[in-house]
Amino acid sequence: MGDKSKLEQNQEEQPISLLSRSLITGFVGGVFWGIVGLFAYYFNFSEVAPKTYLLRSWLDAGWTDRWLGDVVSLIALGVISVIVAFIYYIIFKKINSIWMGVAYGALLWGIVFYVLQPIFPNVGPITGMGEYTIVSTICLFILYGTFVGYSISYDYEDTLAKNTQEDRKTQTTKA
Amino acid sequence: MLRRKKTKSTAISPTIQENKAYMQERVGLDVSFDVGSRELTVLKKKIHLYYLTGLCDSAIIVELMEKLIEINDHESNSKKLPEILENRLVHQQVNAIESMDEAVDQMLSGLIIVFVDGEKQAFVVDVRSYPGRSPEEPDTEHVVRGSRDGYTENIIENTALTRRRIRDERLRHEMLKVGERSKTDVCLSYVSDIADDGLVQLIKEEIESIEIDGIAMADKTLDEFLVQRGWNPFPFVRYTERPDVAANHLLEGHVLIIVDTSPSVIILPTTYFHHLQHAEEFRQAPAIGTFIRWTRFLAILASMFLLPLWLLFTMEPSLLPQPLSFIGPNDEGNIPIVIQLILADLGIEFLRMAAIHTPTPLATSMGLIAAVLIGEIAIQVGMLSPEAILYIAISAIGTYVTPSYELSVANRLVRIILLIVTGLFGIYGFLIGVTIYFLFLASLKSLKTPYLWPFLPFNAKAFLHILIRIPVPLSNSRPSIVHPKNNYSQPSKKKGL
Repeated sequence: MGDKSKLEQNQEEQPISLLSRSLITGFVGGVFWGIVGLFAYYFNFSEVAPKTYLLRSWLDAGWTDRWLGDVVSLIALGVISVIVAFIYYIIFKKINSIWMGVAYGALLWGIVFYVLQPIFPNVGPITGMGEYTIVSTICLFILYGTFVGYSISYDYEDTLAKNTQEDRKTQTTKA
Repeated sequence: MLRRKKTKSTAISPTIQENKAYMQERVGLDVSFDVGSRELTVLKKKIHLYYLTGLCDSAIIVELMEKLIEINDHESNSKKLPEILENRLVHQQVNAIESMDEAVDQMLSGLIIVFVDGEKQAFVVDVRSYPGRSPEEPDTEHVVRGSRDGYTENIIENTALTRRRIRDERLRHEMLKVGERSKTDVCLSYVSDIADDGLVQLIKEEIESIEIDGIAMADKTLDEFLVQRGWNPFPFVRYTERPDVAANHLLEGHVLIIVDTSPSVIILPTTYFHHLQHAEEFRQAPAIGTFIRWTRFLAILASMFLLPLWLLFTMEPSLLPQPLSFIGPNDEGNIPIVIQLILADLGIEFLRMAAIHTPTPLATSMGLIAAVLIGEIAIQVGMLSPEAILYIAISAIGTYVTPSYELSVANRLVRIILLIVTGLFGIYGFLIGVTIYFLFLASLKSLKTPYLWPFLPFNAKAFLHILIRIPVPLSNSRPSIVHPKNNYSQPSKKKGL
């Protein structure tokens, strides 16, 4: 053990907590998959982009339809995604399976496209959307859900395993 | 198998003729020409030497024999012969053994065995000299600057090349044997206070549980036993032939497996992103290294998704935004685009395979045939459209940019599958195909390590290291995926610099 302290291990830099790591994952996930969604919108795979929901529903200013609108909506998406990650963290973090993430993504899609649909005045009901849009957004949400969900669950499991290992180590050194 | 080995264990007989009979029966002395023996008489006692002709250094053996015969001139106490003998075997590696099995094993690996009449033990002298080449720069991992040595087929040299770079007393080279018949040496290398004990233990158990007659294909066979991936085409281990890459991974907390007779060393555990790295970017300035990396990512993405995407756009031009509407063939040709792409992709595969087998003098003419005949004439005849050739060429080059050969082949398979599903189901095939591909990759695990880590499951710090080649003075922690026992490679105080 004396050897280790010489190497300055465990002395500086408290590692970031599991919760904040999860929230960072949420933010990055939101921005990254938002960019993918933007591409899908640009190439007409989907009729809706992040900004369709987050800006165009309320604002009609010129900039919202240009690149600035995309950037602002991506950041907003990141922030919302932090909340999404937090909800996953609270409810599902103990289920360490990639399928939980997939299901979470599908659930989110259902919420956004069915439950929340009325609050976005400029987005028509799901029945009015093209099939391309439906398929591409489902795929996108599934990947996004997997990204957020699986990352948090895995991290939780990994941290748990690491902690028990360290506990065992300290116990053996005490004995 | 293991039980049989134990029952066979025979002690060395004091009667030297019995040992000879054993050698004749078991190893085929006098039948196999490469098993040699020599009889000497020292102090009126018979001494037998056994060796394998091809694997030992004759010069040393001759010198040893000279010393043995000189005993007759200088010594007289024949009762003390074993002690005298051990003293006179002038070599740093002399061992006494007591069982015939060990004697046979050692002899077959190129050591000489010295039996003495009337003694229950024999001496083993390490005079091995294996046929092999000296370290050369590996073909697949060139760098512009940096060390030019590479691993060879000799496991001892390989461990030495690693040790040259890490003189740490905590570097462990554990020797294991695999193969009931081939008895191949397998070396497990790790730095004992960095590498995760659980991982080392797991790998060791996996290797020890292998029961096979021989692993002539060395590292590849071992890889199949270790990570048990069945039909999955993606590479689960990273191979390297560069000692500097290997040493770097050891310091990160990875475990190396060196298999005798193979110059490729296995790095464990490995994720998808390990296959996208190359020593070259670490030899350049961090900014350049980052640039190289991004270019490579782009090329690899293109190698997988460009062709299916283009196919999709030719099938449904309405998907293209206004500024890009020029994309898509003006003249579709006589064959459906899907078929054109798949045919051309297979054609490139033909070329690649041909290039591996073709002797160098013929390679030029092969290139000519490929470029001129197939490319030009295919367009003239109306088989392929020019634009198809452009995209096929880009994605083929993207495939060659992939640093890991194994990954590039797997990606090619993905590309062909995506082409087929896109051709059959259009945009749905493409979207669902890509989604399933990602989920499939994310669900893979090799040695308990998620394959897409650090992207999925996401780890911000590690992912930053993938995206950007961080300057070495600033990257002070080891990757968490190997669960290092010691997290820091340098004091983090330095970080302020």
